[in-house]
Amino acid sequence: MMPIILFYIFAVILLLSAVMVVISRNSVHAALFLVLAFCNASGLFLIAGAEFLAILLIAIYAGAVMILFLFIVMTMQTNLVQLKEGMQHYLPVGFCIAIVLVVELIIVAINWHIDPNVAEAARQPLLQNMSNTKALGSLIYTNYIFLFQMAGLVLLVAMIGAIVLTLRKRPTNRRQVVARQHMREPNQTLEMRSVELNKGVDDLGGYLRPKETYYGIAQEDSFGPKPGDKMDITEKRQEREQSK
Amino acid sequence: MNWTLAIPEIALSISGLIILLWGAIQKKGNAFFPCAILSIAAFVAVGFLTLTVSNGVGYNGLFINDEFSRYMKILIIIAGFLSIILSIDFNGKNDTNCFEYIALIVFSTVGAMVMVSSNDLMTLYMGLELSSLALYILCAIDRKNVFSAESGVKYFVLGSVASGILLYGISMIYGFSGGMGYSTIHQIIASNHALSAGFAVGLVFVLVGLCFKISAVPFHMWTPDVYQGAPTPVTTFLSTAPKFAAFALFLRLMIGPFGHLSPQWQLLIEVIAILSIIIGSVGAIAQTNIKRMMAYSSISHMGFALVGLAAATPDGVMGTLIYLTTYLFMNVGTFAVIAAMSRKGHVVENINDLAGLGKTDPGIATAMAIFMFSMAGVPPLAGFFGKFLVFKAALGADLYSLTIIGLLASAVGAFFYLRIVKIMFFDKAVEALDQRSLSLSFVTFSMGTLTLVFMLFLSPMIQMGQIAAQSLFH
Amino acid sequence: MEHFFLHTMVGSIILIVLKVLAVLVPLLIGVAYLTWIERKVLAAIMLRKGPNVVGPFGLLQPFADAVKMIFKETIIPAKANRVLFFIAPILGFSLSMLAWAVIPANDGWAVANLNIGILYLLAISSVSIYATLLAGWGSNSKYALLGAMRAAAQMISYELAMGLVIASVLLLVGSANLNDIVLAQRHVWFFLPMFPMFIIFFISCLAETNRPPFDFAVGESELVAGFFAEYSSMAFGLFFLAEYGNMILMSAIISILFLGGWLPPLDYVPFTWIPGPFWLIIKILICLFCFIWVRSAFPRYRYDQLMRLGWKVFLPFTLAWVVLTAGFMMATGIGIYGGAA
Repeated sequence: MMPIILFYIFAVILLLSAVMVVISRNSVHAALFLVLAFCNASGLFLIAGAEFLAILLIAIYAGAVMILFLFIVMTMQTNLVQLKEGMQHYLPVGFCIAIVLVVELIIVAINWHIDPNVAEAARQPLLQNMSNTKALGSLIYTNYIFLFQMAGLVLLVAMIGAIVLTLRKRPTNRRQVVARQHMREPNQTLEMRSVELNKGVDDLGGYLRPKETYYGIAQEDSFGPKPGDKMDITEKRQEREQSK
Repeated sequence: MNWTLAIPEIALSISGLIILLWGAIQKKGNAFFPCAILSIAAFVAVGFLTLTVSNGVGYNGLFINDEFSRYMKILIIIAGFLSIILSIDFNGKNDTNCFEYIALIVFSTVGAMVMVSSNDLMTLYMGLELSSLALYILCAIDRKNVFSAESGVKYFVLGSVASGILLYGISMIYGFSGGMGYSTIHQIIASNHALSAGFAVGLVFVLVGLCFKISAVPFHMWTPDVYQGAPTPVTTFLSTAPKFAAFALFLRLMIGPFGHLSPQWQLLIEVIAILSIIIGSVGAIAQTNIKRMMAYSSISHMGFALVGLAAATPDGVMGTLIYLTTYLFMNVGTFAVIAAMSRKGHVVENINDLAGLGKTDPGIATAMAIFMFSMAGVPPLAGFFGKFLVFKAALGADLYSLTIIGLLASAVGAFFYLRIVKIMFFDKAVEALDQRSLSLSFVTFSMGTLTLVFMLFLSPMIQMGQIAAQSLFH
Repeated sequence: MEHFFLHTMVGSIILIVLKVLAVLVPLLIGVAYLTWIERKVLAAIMLRKGPNVVGPFGLLQPFADAVKMIFKETIIPAKANRVLFFIAPILGFSLSMLAWAVIPANDGWAVANLNIGILYLLAISSVSIYATLLAGWGSNSKYALLGAMRAAAQMISYELAMGLVIASVLLLVGSANLNDIVLAQRHVWFFLPMFPMFIIFFISCLAETNRPPFDFAVGESELVAGFFAEYSSMAFGLFFLAEYGNMILMSAIISILFLGGWLPPLDYVPFTWIPGPFWLIIKILICLFCFIWVRSAFPRYRYDQLMRLGWKVFLPFTLAWVVLTAGFMMATGIGIYGGAA
């Protein structure tokens, strides 16, 4: 009894939030409804006894994918009204396709009959001492190893794509060599000057920007002064003192 | 488990990974050229591996190797190989000479090969995703070009919808047959002849997904924009390897698991083929951009190739295989000429830019003329034999209307192919094109020669095609 | 009595409620006193006295703070998204409490002894980013939004490293059940063989809870108060409770994964006299002390350094360690298929 009630609760919320994803006017709200839908789908998985999938659905889809998605949606100024401008134009076509799909679905639903063996197969418990996770693992890494590796390749390609389409080397990039940064001694970048009373730093030769802190540790191809520019503090100080 | 069956795919993936690694750790200079050479070596090696690997079903029924898959894989490997050669010089022009480009072509080829060898709907889907995902990225890889970005986005969005529909169809088939392996589905269809509605819907949805991949009408809308925007070597690859893979799936699925249903799907394929031929031929006439024209041309070619499948006989399948082979030669050759079209370092793509090419560069103009005549189906060039074989098969299967419409449409198609020849040889010369690079000349002339002398090795090709086609029919 | 609790519907529900209360009430008191401990420890490190006015040694300070918080006025920014603005703190607080369901205080003493307990914790911690994100977006303030963005990016980045550390522990144990993980450490606590992972996990926990030196989400000097810049009164209080609850939770996870949970350090008489839960509490307190100690001793990181550390140092290193662990177990046969290490 309890699982049935839970099933209907989860299923109804799932469907409602799925509808809200489509019709909500605010794109952030739509994304959040999608998260809600994922959580309810995960509840359905739990009822079906697939706890591993349930947790993965939450951890990966709700916890990682949708967060990145929200990230983009929140930073973008999406004007849904503008996006929906062409709506009326395409609505009739879309409507026709939707009707065709619905009719097809109805035909399919009429022809639906459940194999009597299915109910029995679902009722059968997992093997002794076989947790859900273990059962999945022992299938994925044996029978379906080929598909598993293919999935890995697909993800690799997606990663390459993300990098190749977005990473650009701008001439103004400032990158540092971390090792060099760590090797510095304090006296290479900082200098203690005691300032006399009633005299500002200007009287001591002016404020010196310790350029070495960045340029000394910058990567070779990163943005910075051209070779030959004076970048050492001591050199610059001497220059100033001479000009005085 | 016979894991050695997938040795070519494994070898190619590993070389893809090596290329990535090499590109990532190489600090000095551009890794593009060494990676390209590496991938060419890999393609050659994998070609030989494909020829030597044994037949059979492996990986728990997910993967199959037979004469048919070998034939198609060789075509795909040649396509990948040639597009890499095309890109060696071309990619320097628009700053797309990054090593990721090479790796993506390699991975896309792996995906296409897996599609060909799929013996299970899940393998089909994984291969399709791998090959298309790499292609979406490749289309958009010229980041400075707005058209390239447009082409990538369009292809990605429409491709995702198509693979979504395909997946939906697969789930239907799984739900109504209880299996995803081709042999399981085959047995189930063979055992009960009445086709359940859900099954039919699933079959149609899978067909839609595959039609999108081969850009058959009515799922062809993306083709011109994507072809135009993508860098030319990518377009070359896009118009060959994934189409061959999708065609292989078409043939394998329709003849294999759904073979018993051929009376049901034959009409569907016939309609798709006729529409593709007509719309491809008519649409190409109005184009001024040569890549868009080639897009429509490829739509009509896919229609012609589908004629062989519509026949649903071993002869028809053999005709389709030969057609795809000739299509590979003339298509890659044409795109090599297009890749050579540049003026003062800038890529030009207008058909009128070819004007007077016969005088300024007679060599490449002759090659282009050969490709155009061949595409129009003028004997004794390669394209003629492809068309001849598919229509012969169609006549053998009593598809008279299809044959007549196809022949009429190919007469229309001849118009725009011959127009290019006219522009090249009889129009007044505009400024000469840039000096073409060695790699482009190599591809152009080798493909031109192959197209020209195809009839010399026609009979061994037909023999191979027959063996491959027979392996589908068991 | 036993029959009533175990075999009747009402009884079992009452039993569950009692279990939940037995975890939550000490936890909330612990959270309250953690704020007191933090202020005392910080004060001691900075040679100050800390709270000492309300009650003996300032012991009633947390309650004074709570009363102040409750009676303050709740201010809602004019253009805030009211629903999300209020859902965010509730979500944050309830998730930080929800995670405690699987933490075992002794052998089998958990509200829910899940087979995938550690994955459950991972899922909860990844979902709790929503609280931050929603608060930042719902407040309709640029400081809040920036803080939320930073926090979310940071938490996602460090979750990867955490996941891999957990994977290497799971490899050794062969089970994702927290009870089994503790029992597998009967002979040796995992922080000894997996010392680098222990350190990485601790640092990732700092980043995951947005504690200094990774407190970019609140970064007072840059973003006023980050994602809860617009919050006041009890809504703010809930974020506060959630943050400290998360600290305790992370300490508990560290104790369970690496410090042997409720197990005494040595299985001999003077140690075994102290019951298990107290050992767990002692270990949690030690971890919490480190959290506070780090706060007083280190300056805030720079954001790009934080990202670099997560993606370029921790992620490759933990990945290599997972492979190393698996390879070691394959080569030596130690602990394969669920045998305790």
